[in-house]
Amino acid sequence: MRANNNPDNSRQSKKYYFSRKKYCLFCKDRIKLIDYKNYKILQKFTLETGKIIPARVSGVCSYHQKQLTKAIKRARHMALLKFVEPKRD
Amino acid sequence: MKRKYEIGFLLNPESSDEEVKKITDTVVGIIEKAKGNVENIDEWGRRKLAYPIQKHKEGIYTFINTEVEGKVMLELERRLKLSESVIRFIVIRLDDKLKKANKLTKKWRKLEKITEKTKETMEKTGSDKKFDRKEEVKNEG
Repeated sequence: MRANNNPDNSRQSKKYYFSRKKYCLFCKDRIKLIDYKNYKILQKFTLETGKIIPARVSGVCSYHQKQLTKAIKRARHMALLKFVEPKRD
Repeated sequence: MKRKYEIGFLLNPESSDEEVKKITDTVVGIIEKAKGNVENIDEWGRRKLAYPIQKHKEGIYTFINTEVEGKVMLELERRLKLSESVIRFIVIRLDDKLKKANKLTKKWRKLEKITEKTKETMEKTGSDKKFDRKEEVKNEG
């Protein structure tokens, strides 16, 4: 809102883009504990390279993100998910 | 004090069905010796690995849910480490985070109550306006 008050910054204020409000997908489905064996769900929260998607991007709440990271690491240990690989050209 | 655990292990793809049975039987035997109860045995069978381990591209998965004393896990882990056909294994305590999870259910119950209340109030105050409007538009058209 500050940008609107200053006439100099009025151009920058126009750069606002709309984004849908993010919500935690696990809270929506009412999942209490995340299982590391459910690798298909965990795969949705990793990039193609195998990196874990940060919560600020995916919108997962902190409670579930903590469990998610642990579950992904366990799944990696059991060879259900791959470790981080460099991008191939 | 008994606690809930989950044991998972990955076996060599070259091992026969008898060997798979042997290892599951030994694990179950150790648990039953300590007066624990086996709740569930989940056999996934042969599966492709996400990355090669010891040059193996496949593996045989089995998961066992139990309720035993924690001391048993020391012996169990030692046995699994020693056996050559086991490539990977994992032991997880399940009732670790149930308390925190139960707090979440309270939150969700509150949310559900609120949504139900709003629905009721909407019905009372005539929330059907939305539908009525659509019908009106249709009638006008």
